[in-house]
Amino acid sequence: MTLRRAAGRLLALMRKRRLDRELENDILAHLELAERDSVARGLSPEEARSAARRNFGGIEHMKEEHRDRRSFRWIETLLRDLRYGLASLVRAPGFTAVAVGVLALGIGANVAMFSLVDAVLLKPLPFPDPDRIVYVWEVPRPGVTNATSTLDFLDWKRLSAVFEALSAEHPIAGALSGDREPAHLSGKAVTADYFRVFATSAWLGRTFRPGEDQPGAAPVLVISHAAWQTHFGGDPNILNLRPVLDGEAHQIIGVLPPGAFDRDRAEFWKPLIFTPDQHTRGFHWLEVSGRLRGGVSLTQAREQMLAIDAALTEVTPLFKRDWTITVEPLDRLLVGDTLRRSLFIAFGAAALVLLIACANVANLLLAKGAARGKEMAVRAALGASRGRLAAQLLTESLVLCLLGGVAGVALASLMIQAATPFLLQSLPYTAGVSLDFRVLAFAAAVAMGVALLAGTLPSLQTSFGNLAQTLNGSSRGSSGAHSSVRRAIVAGEVALSLVLVCGALLLFKSLLNLQQLKTGIRIENVITMSVDLPLHTYASPQRAALFYDAIVERLRATRGVAQAALTTHLPLRWIGNGEGMQVAGVEKMVNVRFKRVDPAYFSTLGIPLLAGRGIADRDRDGAPRVAVINEALAARLADVAGMKTPVGRTVRLTTPSYRTKGGSLVEVQIVGIIRSERVGSPGAPDPPVAYVALAQAPNPQVKLIIRTEAEPAAVMPGVREAVREIDPGLPLGDIATMRQIRERTLSGASRPAWLIGVFAAVAVLLAAVGLYGVLSQAVTQQHREIGIRIALGARSRDVLAHVLRNALTMVAAGLVLGTLGAVALTRVMKSLLFEVSPLDPVALAVACVAMMLIGLLAAFLPANRAARVDPVTTLREEG
Amino acid sequence: MSKQHTEVPYGTLDLLVLKTLDAMGRMHGYALARRIEQVSGDCLQLSQGSVYPALIRLEQEGWIRTDWGISETNRKVKFFSLTKAGRKQLLVEVSNWEKATALVARFLEASS
Repeated sequence: MTLRRAAGRLLALMRKRRLDRELENDILAHLELAERDSVARGLSPEEARSAARRNFGGIEHMKEEHRDRRSFRWIETLLRDLRYGLASLVRAPGFTAVAVGVLALGIGANVAMFSLVDAVLLKPLPFPDPDRIVYVWEVPRPGVTNATSTLDFLDWKRLSAVFEALSAEHPIAGALSGDREPAHLSGKAVTADYFRVFATSAWLGRTFRPGEDQPGAAPVLVISHAAWQTHFGGDPNILNLRPVLDGEAHQIIGVLPPGAFDRDRAEFWKPLIFTPDQHTRGFHWLEVSGRLRGGVSLTQAREQMLAIDAALTEVTPLFKRDWTITVEPLDRLLVGDTLRRSLFIAFGAAALVLLIACANVANLLLAKGAARGKEMAVRAALGASRGRLAAQLLTESLVLCLLGGVAGVALASLMIQAATPFLLQSLPYTAGVSLDFRVLAFAAAVAMGVALLAGTLPSLQTSFGNLAQTLNGSSRGSSGAHSSVRRAIVAGEVALSLVLVCGALLLFKSLLNLQQLKTGIRIENVITMSVDLPLHTYASPQRAALFYDAIVERLRATRGVAQAALTTHLPLRWIGNGEGMQVAGVEKMVNVRFKRVDPAYFSTLGIPLLAGRGIADRDRDGAPRVAVINEALAARLADVAGMKTPVGRTVRLTTPSYRTKGGSLVEVQIVGIIRSERVGSPGAPDPPVAYVALAQAPNPQVKLIIRTEAEPAAVMPGVREAVREIDPGLPLGDIATMRQIRERTLSGASRPAWLIGVFAAVAVLLAAVGLYGVLSQAVTQQHREIGIRIALGARSRDVLAHVLRNALTMVAAGLVLGTLGAVALTRVMKSLLFEVSPLDPVALAVACVAMMLIGLLAAFLPANRAARVDPVTTLREEG
Repeated sequence: MSKQHTEVPYGTLDLLVLKTLDAMGRMHGYALARRIEQVSGDCLQLSQGSVYPALIRLEQEGWIRTDWGISETNRKVKFFSLTKAGRKQLLVEVSNWEKATALVARFLEASS
């Protein structure tokens, strides 16, 4: 067919009515002319008319052929079926509402989940050539990655040839002040190549130039689009502003494009300038990212980095001679295994919900089909082929599914909007979740798939009904032939729901275990916040120590505050700072987590002392240096150095310096052992931790920990007032109660549980609706039978029991199937469970009992209706 | 009827319509159908109505054009005429037909 003709046919489709009218007119004119000719040849008018008709041929046949020729017949048919389907749905608003609602739930859940999976796993990262972006780590032991030191980074940069750009970064924070309320900003110190790694250029202005990360360079900043909006009101004059960050005026040279960098924690980026005392190999503080040269594979990069590592052995400190190096792609870093697995499991759960929704809709369609048996039979008797009838019914379910799809997309958009604030924390910053074209295409595909899945069986069942039997009404006796199919579908729904309920219960049980997890600290009535001392006002450690004393004393006098303490790392969070402890007689340093606390820390959080003493007020600058260790470190020391009684022993500990990133080996005396507090998320063993007196090793970044007498948030105005009194330019950041911090630590585990819990609830609801639908239909069909039985003396209790038994057999069959499914599937979840077996018998039993009860509940209404059938009315009605 | 009636050979109705329009110029559907019957000496068994599906196809291909005119019975009807592309197509169809008949003729000669 030529293109021109195809276009003509499509055009004809739209001008159907006009073309039909024109054809009608042509035929009339033709017959008139023929009659006139015949009359002229001497025929009588009647003869002439019939001759004209005869010569013309079959008019209707010709019209059909004309329509076939001029346009696409199947489209015309499809359009007619669509119109017809829509009309039939409008005629049954109850059925339509239920079916569309069920579909909207199923499709909506899947669309929302897909948009997440797409954003996190499928879409390429929002940078040019994202697969060339890598991170380079030191590897102390297999499976563990570590930051690197300044000199190692500089050597890598100098010696490697596989990178187009290699950059180091380090998280920082800053106080933004000026003529505004001081604000606490998170940021990153990065070397000048940083934005070349991500191939990102500024949206406004420029990013860093080479040399801007060298000593003596003017202070410049790049800020995120979001920070520009929040802190500068989107001022177009931003590049001429000189905002004061940490007491120093900076020039903003660029604003980043909106998008990925807005979801990053950092709001500003400033050049990372190495000071002379940072030029060491002992202090691991840099995260190194790189952009591979085109054509360089990950393996090649790894090999070269290992070769560089080998070449540097001579200069490498003893304790890390056996460390290696690895190169990891960015997406691996962004999407951890737990997130990946959680997403897949949640998506799987959503898919199960969709399957159940399909089963439900298939059931509804079958029920509707049963009611339309007569209509179909009449149409078949009038000459409609079964194929045509099936196609028409399928089109009808397609209309239904498209409506469900539209409602589902609307629902998904609501769900995404509602969930985004909770999700942002646990998704990588590169993931922008939105209902874009890809997601809509997915929704359309799902709707079509559902139409086929749910519509095929009912359309065949309904269109293949026995003509004579249906018209004779002989099916009015006992339950029809469809009912076994429908019962099987309901059993399947129950089985799928059981799998979901079981999975959700396992996750909730695991969540419960996590909630009861021993944190080792006081959670109630504790609030925390961070304070960053600007180095220009707090230039020396002594100055910082003075501030610590002043703030703690002032806070203790604040109303509602029971206790106040300072630390460098919040409880329950991972301690990023790792140092080495040198013990006499042991060649290799012992790796420890390094945390600085003030004298009130242990008592404020209720951490008990197991031996010796805690940090005391007398442990100040000038006094002998002391450290308190946790149980895990005591055990490690006993293990490595055979140190049975560590209290009173002197060790050497690398200690970071105040102003710059760098440190020195310092002699400290171990004065006490405390019971381990939880460090980092649950699941991993307690790491060894050394607690050093904050006053002896001050740090500009500290966290305030305040125990309150009542509701923690209520003390905040007093706390702000206290801080303002001591230093009016000091912003408070990251205010969070201990309860919130615990939630955040556990959130990796709780989110999938809630999500799957919601899916399970929806699934159970759908299964109950399905069960109710089938039983209710069965009762309607067996109305007469039940009437006869009651007339013959059956008591209503018997009838009730009969219907309930009917329901229970379906549910029981489903439970058997579901148990098998649960056994097969919950193994997948093993890694997400905390101290729960994936085959937990309690969870399975509870799920089974719950499904049974819900089944009975769904069956009770129809059963009750059956029991109240009035034999006289029934028999008269149909007799 | 004494004359033997033949069905329109498959696929040749297009050729007949094009050729007729080429010879007679602009005409309406009835005149076209009658003309084909007359030229065939009334030995072609043509349902007159079957020219209409053929006409709509030829129109969609762009080989004929339609306009409105008044019939002898004073009714507004469609008139059909050949386009430039239609004239070209006629040549193609004629040569196809000649090739086909020549081929069949050769077969008949060879096997006799």
